[in-house]
Amino acid sequence: MIIKVNNLVKRYDDLIALDHFNLEVKEGEIFGLLGPNGSGKTTAINCILSLLKYDKGTIEVYGRPMAPDAYDIKRNIGIIMQNVAVFDELTVYENIDYFCGMYIKDKKKRRELVEEAIEFVELDSFRKFLPKKLSGGLLRRLNIACGIAHKPKLIILDEPTVAVDPQSRRKILEGIRKLNDDGATIVYTSHYMEEVEEICTRIAIMDKGKVIALGTKDELKGMINSGEKITVEILEHNPDILEGVRSLPNIVSAEFNDNMLVAKSRRGKNNLSALLEYLRSSQINVGRIYSEPPTLNDVFLEITGKELRDHA
Amino acid sequence: MFLHIYMYRLKCILRDKQNVFWTLMFPIILATLFYLAFSNLSNAESFTEIEVGIVDNEELREHPEFTEAVKSVPDLFNVTYTTKENAEKLLEDGEIEGYIHFDDGLKLFVKESGINETIIKSFLDDFLQTSSTISTIISQNPAAVQNGLPDSVFDRTDYLKAVPSGKAEPNTVVNYFYSLIAMACLYGSFSGLKEVLAMQGNLSYQGARVNMAPIHKAKIIIASMSAAVSFQLIAVTALLVYLIAVLRVDFGNQVGYIALTSIVSTITGVTFGTFISSVNRQSEGVKIGILIGSSMIMTFLSGMMYDKMKYIVHTKVPVLSYLNPANLITDSFYALYYFDTHARFFTNIALLCGYSVLFGTLTYLAVRRQRYASI
Ligand SMILES: Nc1ncnc2c1ncn2[C@@H]1O[C@H](COP(=O)(O)OP(=O)(O)O)[C@@H](O)[C@H]1O
Ligand SMILES: [Mg+2]
Repeated sequence: MIIKVNNLVKRYDDLIALDHFNLEVKEGEIFGLLGPNGSGKTTAINCILSLLKYDKGTIEVYGRPMAPDAYDIKRNIGIIMQNVAVFDELTVYENIDYFCGMYIKDKKKRRELVEEAIEFVELDSFRKFLPKKLSGGLLRRLNIACGIAHKPKLIILDEPTVAVDPQSRRKILEGIRKLNDDGATIVYTSHYMEEVEEICTRIAIMDKGKVIALGTKDELKGMINSGEKITVEILEHNPDILEGVRSLPNIVSAEFNDNMLVAKSRRGKNNLSALLEYLRSSQINVGRIYSEPPTLNDVFLEITGKELRDHA
Repeated sequence: MFLHIYMYRLKCILRDKQNVFWTLMFPIILATLFYLAFSNLSNAESFTEIEVGIVDNEELREHPEFTEAVKSVPDLFNVTYTTKENAEKLLEDGEIEGYIHFDDGLKLFVKESGINETIIKSFLDDFLQTSSTISTIISQNPAAVQNGLPDSVFDRTDYLKAVPSGKAEPNTVVNYFYSLIAMACLYGSFSGLKEVLAMQGNLSYQGARVNMAPIHKAKIIIASMSAAVSFQLIAVTALLVYLIAVLRVDFGNQVGYIALTSIVSTITGVTFGTFISSVNRQSEGVKIGILIGSSMIMTFLSGMMYDKMKYIVHTKVPVLSYLNPANLITDSFYALYYFDTHARFFTNIALLCGYSVLFGTLTYLAVRRQRYASI
């Protein structure tokens, strides 16, 4: 077990940010911590790192209690905070070198590692730039380089893709996969379910300081009752159609959205074909058809009764 | 590791344009303004002997050692021995700067407060200090008297420096420059603040990252403070060179001691800044405000805006003179310039060292706290 958190409680005055939070991260996984803003992801990470005081609970990293002076543990951790943490006065190269130098004494080795990190985040043509001159996405990539240059075995990334352009986001996600392929264990927090679904091997869904569901994405989706969401293009808006669709055995809801019929099904087989069969037999002309499997948002919705994130 | 952090912190400080302006350029600009404002004054006020009256009475004659001490500094004072009434009149007419009256102890009477009055008072303080040393020796070891010890104690003709008369340096103006140097040293507090911000996890994101490194906090603090002190020394040296070489302000020729004063004062300034920024939980803006405010007050009380202030504090609230680092700094320069013995100088330096150690320790205790309540 790389990280083991047991019944962690953290309060900010009256607010309970972590409420008996439990977590286990195994070697080699890309572990996702998914939860809406304010669910306690950052607080959990900062407690695990011994940056924050907590009220109750135990935290072990590499099988030993984590502490501010557990230097041999810290040496193996790379941390990418949710806020960009680089020095404005130092260039891209210098920032990476500064932080890398806190882990690696040997100058020659350090130079190699810094070069590798620059190449990894593709900032080669910006190495002499000050952070001020970098766009949001490049800045995030610098932030990542500063956290991973010393080749840590455990890498913790707290919302590394917030406010990042799609191209940089893609690079970041690919990079994380690559770090994992190279042997690092990853803890990744995000409130974007698509990202977590895409890269994480195991996911904990958080809400109000607690882990409310845990498993692989398929396991998580298997926990809930919802099946796929079926969208069918229909030109005539006949309320009878809705009635008919709703009466189908496995359909939970049906609605018109412009000229699309949106139907949600329960978990089960042949939901789509049953629906299409019904439409055909009612001689209703259909256009395009989409079927989407349930998302982690559906998992979250079903457990908490609210959307994972506000529709922004 | 130490060198790695030190070099990068120094780089950060040197590249912070705002900080460089306030700590390096601003004192030099201010020095130029002072110089322009005082250049007329300085021609008029070259150093002359200070006119002093001494009331000639029984009690004075009971203390021949005092008369001896006065005689030992012929270039400093021009003494008139006279009656109490006449001395009063001379003081009233401005013929003398002050008079000394032995009346159940040493008493000094002055009409104004200023550098000359301060010099007379310092002379008396020094005298009293020496004579009490002697009474202690005598009371503890009467045999010493037979060995002629008191003589040797008094036989210190150099114990107050005689400033060569006609020396070009205007004595009232030089104190403005002393307080300016004090200010420059205390501005080290801004670099100190910057360093604390950069290493505290609850004050900056960068600090949080630094806290994740497998390095002892003390190492980071010492390297960061050293960087701040180094930069501030560059700034103070630049100011001193500018004052001495360009503006031709005369600080006497005790370069070693001036350097010592600057180094110690700079450390006091930097640690003052780290102390203020690590113990209070206010925002960066508030911290800067506190630092600007306190250095203004301290330099004001040491005479930067109004030269008589130093004397007023010295007589009215003497303890404040010792509590105020800016005053200790100006007073060190002042002691170097006017006195040949270094007793007073080293008292100041010792106090400044004491403050540095105190501020530094308090900083460490505040910064060492390892897990934060809130980030
Ligand atoms: N320094 C703080 N002081 C008080 N409350 C805080 C502080 N940091 C976070 N919180 C609160 O704790 C809860 C969890 O926050 P956080 O861990 O940042 O969530 P997330 O990272 O999942 O967005 C939120 O309600 C937030 O408002
Ligand atoms: Mg967060």
